[in-house]
Amino acid sequence: MDILPGSFDREFTLSELLGGISRKKLSAALATLLGAGFRLSSSAGEVLAGTTDDLPGGARVAVRHDLEVLGWLEAAAAEDQVGAAATLLELLLHQGARYHMASALHIEVVRTDYEALQDQYAALQASEARYRALSQQLEERVQQQVGVIETAQRQLYQAEKMASIGQLAAGVAHEINNPIGFIRSNLGTARGYVERLQQFTPAIRANPPLAEAWKRADMDFLIEDFGALLKESIDGADRVARIVADLKGFSNVDHAEVEVVDLNDSLRSVCNVAHAQVSPKAEVVMDLGELPPLRCHAGRLNQVFLSLLLNAAHAMDTRGEIRIRSRHAGNELRIEFADTGHGIAQDVLERIFDPFFTTRDVGQGTGLGLTVSRDVIAAHGGRIEVQSAPGKGSAFTVVLPADGRA
Amino acid sequence: MADIDETNRKITLKLVYYGPAMSGKTTNLMRLHDLLAPELKGDILTLETQNDRTLFFDLLPLGFLTPTGWLIKLKLYTVPGQVVHDATRKAVLSRADGMVFVADSQRTQSVNNSESFQNLEENARRVGLDFDSLPLVVQFNKRDLPRILSEEEIEARWAQAPWPLTFASALTGAGVRETFVRLLEQVYPHADRQFSLTEAHGMSQAAFVQAVAGA
Ligand SMILES: Nc1nc2c(ncn2[C@@H]2O[C@H](COP(=O)(O)OP(=O)(O)OP(=O)(O)O)[C@@H](O)[C@H]2O)c(=O)[nH]1
Ligand SMILES: [Mg+2]
Repeated sequence: MDILPGSFDREFTLSELLGGISRKKLSAALATLLGAGFRLSSSAGEVLAGTTDDLPGGARVAVRHDLEVLGWLEAAAAEDQVGAAATLLELLLHQGARYHMASALHIEVVRTDYEALQDQYAALQASEARYRALSQQLEERVQQQVGVIETAQRQLYQAEKMASIGQLAAGVAHEINNPIGFIRSNLGTARGYVERLQQFTPAIRANPPLAEAWKRADMDFLIEDFGALLKESIDGADRVARIVADLKGFSNVDHAEVEVVDLNDSLRSVCNVAHAQVSPKAEVVMDLGELPPLRCHAGRLNQVFLSLLLNAAHAMDTRGEIRIRSRHAGNELRIEFADTGHGIAQDVLERIFDPFFTTRDVGQGTGLGLTVSRDVIAAHGGRIEVQSAPGKGSAFTVVLPADGRA
Repeated sequence: MADIDETNRKITLKLVYYGPAMSGKTTNLMRLHDLLAPELKGDILTLETQNDRTLFFDLLPLGFLTPTGWLIKLKLYTVPGQVVHDATRKAVLSRADGMVFVADSQRTQSVNNSESFQNLEENARRVGLDFDSLPLVVQFNKRDLPRILSEEEIEARWAQAPWPLTFASALTGAGVRETFVRLLEQVYPHADRQFSLTEAHGMSQAAFVQAVAGA
């Protein structure tokens, strides 16, 4: 028989309550008790056992369960006999109800327990999924962190390399400075000597044998060329001295003192220092306007300018032009590095100031990253502006307050 | 469940005796069977028990006919109090129209009482009953025993609660009928609102209580 779940306390019909019993045996027993002429029918009129024929002159007794009449027992027999049989039936119904309700309730309970289990299982799965997602996130974060650390390490390495190069440069500059000083000074003195030798020429000409020997030795040319050689050497020594001075300016990066400088001088020395790296890639055109002296960390600004210049050189796919412009406008100094290189794509442009952003491998000798450059400029109360047209070139402009807020 | 069956002209109300294990729910029902003399009274249907402890439920059907010829049927259930039978308790409680919470007055049972009461509240919510508006009577049973909470103590503890408090000794039958009458008085207004007992069936509250609990 079917047990409907979720309805253990519903009302049962007579045939449901008799469902577990052999109808045949029940009929036989009732026939023995009441005689062949009997009928058990439901309150709806359905005959469950016995005859369908008319039963004249017999008794009709209600079969009740749970306060209600579920059916009728009729028989051509004495009323108390039929009543007793009905009571037996009611006892059967009572047991039937116990059985039905217990099984229905059991099913209901098992189902809710099962549902609770399923809920628990689902919750367990959800939390497992959450943990899995979490561990995935964690791994991603670790990867990210590792990336950050690696980049920072490379930067640090780069910075240290720069610093040691700076120190080396400072040492070299210092070492060269002294000898170049006395070379330059001695060359000057030597030139004075040559001039004084030249003053002897008229006296020698006046003495024919001496003049003859003079001429034979081609002393006129010799003395003149001697002067020219010395002048060339003096120019060379001056250039060496200038480069040494520039190098010293660069090695001043960690020299935190504020100086008052003309930025045009800084730009010139930056060009000198970078000449070897930049000249194969681009022609540098200087367009320097009059600038007021500026209080600043000159060494740091030099680094920024150098980095912008090298970036510009790096942007050249073929040989191009880098125009360095300086202007004093209002209360601002504007230093522009405009190149005719490959330019920067819009999506890259948005990220160039991100810390650790680079489109190149570290180690390509580009000096400071743009982030550091921006920080240096910001520390001076200024900003860096960028304009770029892919394929045409970029312009980085350092804008500084003219009153020098370093 | 408050069922109305128009074809058979029948209204069924479900009343549930709830409470911790061994507090006397089944005993309450057995006493009611003896004490009450409604027009219609069925036998107690007791499902399996184990050492006197209910495993499924007990059921006592009571009923009477209204002047209009309708059958009003009340089905009184007990739940199994043991903690493990929670799913069964929930199933029996579902669609209840009123409840008696049978607490054990013994001092040692206070924790069980309050845990069971919380369980009633939770299960009522789980099966979708509005616990705050549902008719409920709280009965403190076993007043005949020593080492019980005094009435004053109990009244003080339950002073803030909105439910009627009764005291009983189900073993002797004292307070059992009174508890049930208090429940009927709570249930009547709900049933009246739902089925117009007064207007449609000519059953006032007094008549209703008298018909069910009349001695
Ligand atoms: N002394 C005393 N004993 C009682 C009283 N009411 C019930 N008991 C006894 O307490 C025991 C448990 O009673 P039950 O009515 O079976 O308790 P129950 O609440 O139905 O218990 P569960 O079916 O396990 O939830 C029985 O031995 C009862 O005789 C009472 O008022 N006084
Ligand atoms: Mg019980």
